Amino acid sequence: MNLTTLLEQYGKLYLTALFTTWTLTAISFSAAFVIGILITVMRISPVGPLRAAGEIFVQIFRNISGAALLILLVYALPYLNLLFSYYTCVIIATSLIPAAFCSEYLMSGINTIDAGQIEAARALGMSFFQIIRNIVIPQALRSSVLPLTNLLVSTMLTTALASQVPVNPRELTGLVSHINTHAVGGVLAFFVSAFLYSATAVVIGRIGSLIDRKVRILR
Amino acid sequence: MPDEIRDEIPVIELENVEKYFGDLHVLDNINLRVKKGEVVVIIGPSGSGKSTLCRTVNRLETIDSGKIRIAGEEMPAEGKELARIRSEVGMVFQSFNLFAHKTILENVIMAPMSVKKTPKAQAVKEAMELLKRVGVESQASKVPAQLSGGQQQRVAIARALAMHPRAMLFDEPTSALDPEMINEVLDVIREVAEEGMTMLIVTHEMNFARQVADRIIFMDQGRILEESTPEAFFEAPKTERAREFLSKYSVSTSRLPRGAYESVEKHASGVLGMRISATPEA
Ligand SMILES: Nc1ncnc2c1ncn2[C@@H]1O[C@H](COP(=O)(O)OP(=O)(O)OP(=O)(O)O)[C@@H](O)[C@H]1O
Ligand SMILES: [Mg+2]
Repeated sequence: MNLTTLLEQYGKLYLTALFTTWTLTAISFSAAFVIGILITVMRISPVGPLRAAGEIFVQIFRNISGAALLILLVYALPYLNLLFSYYTCVIIATSLIPAAFCSEYLMSGINTIDAGQIEAARALGMSFFQIIRNIVIPQALRSSVLPLTNLLVSTMLTTALASQVPVNPRELTGLVSHINTHAVGGVLAFFVSAFLYSATAVVIGRIGSLIDRKVRILR
Repeated sequence: MPDEIRDEIPVIELENVEKYFGDLHVLDNINLRVKKGEVVVIIGPSGSGKSTLCRTVNRLETIDSGKIRIAGEEMPAEGKELARIRSEVGMVFQSFNLFAHKTILENVIMAPMSVKKTPKAQAVKEAMELLKRVGVESQASKVPAQLSGGQQQRVAIARALAMHPRAMLFDEPTSALDPEMINEVLDVIREVAEEGMTMLIVTHEMNFARQVADRIIFMDQGRILEESTPEAFFEAPKTERAREFLSKYSVSTSRLPRGAYESVEKHASGVLGMRISATPEA
């Protein structure tokens, strides 16, 4: 099979798969971002147990493989009477792991904030949450645009996990498996997906550095 | 001093305040009252506990025992009440501590809007007036890193004033500044003092201290060793420790030292553009 016949036969499916990969990535990354911020707030809160819970979350999900987590979600959760669709399991797996990394990046962003600014805010009568919302999180986000951009790309690559469970429609990696079990797409089928992943990553990288340049904090 | 002022509740009151850093007795039975409109300057050798005392007033430092009252209200150790009382005491730090990601204007309106729920339009209006007063209104849309140290410190003063504090604390406000910027900041502080603000100032600028202080407090090893008028303190210090300390500085005897006067005059026409007249009688 050459590229022309491959695209003739599967072009539409590739487009759908690309769109599915994008959708999964967008949902997972948004969830990871929100969870990552919440975990970070827990980790810097004055409440000991919350800090501990945040640390434990990060230690677990930073150190577990995506495949292991997905297997756990798919096979273990039903025993707890939690029955999620395969799609949901994939999204949970591909959000929790990036959430842990998101929190790590935000923590190192927080470490760049001069403690004097926090003192000034306290001296002005601002509460913990006002300081978190107005000073800590905005500065942490602005100084972690580039790592978060990389995290977005790696979240996209992690969504390939969806190829391990039956989901419909298929995403880019799932489509490669599908083509290779139904036709002799061979390595070419893989290259088309790889190209689409890379092209997306390049665009994400460009946008990331544009944003970084715009929001970077002058010091 | 008229009787009605003497009898008033002090704006800042510390009673038997004790604090240790491990074995170090950094605040040793501190008793201090600052009345409304009074300017108290704390001086003393490095490590004597001046910064700690200043930061203790709004409880940026915890204390081991004693009481702190602001306008008669006892300051709790934590919580909403603490934040509320803190918002009534402005503080200016050695290192400016402006919010690096916000513009100058945003720095000044942040606390009034989030803590006091001042409507934005009003907060902006007041902030611009304050920025004008400290001579940096043209920098309002820049970020802190684009300003000189002196400008940043003047913004920090405006930011504190924007909360309409009952009192202001200054912890060595000019120690991080290049010499040519010191006076522009001292001028602003002097102006705020002249407008009747209650102030507690830690400084190593002896001429300035002598000029603005109603009362000088001399600290050493965590204790208040002397408390007197600037004239009495600088001309006839009571303790050997203070005499020794002062011998390291040359303090001019006139109310407004020559060097400062030239720079004050420069600013009167330039940065401040108001207030300080050509006569050195402040
Ligand atoms: N967080 C801390 N932990 C332990 N010791 C501290 C801490 N902060 C200050 N100290 C010590 O407490 C003493 C008083 O410090 P403080 O900063 O109040 O002195 P200071 O009078 O302001 O000195 P300077 O003129 O150098 O600013 C010093 O010996 C200092 O080393
Ligand atoms: Mg100090």
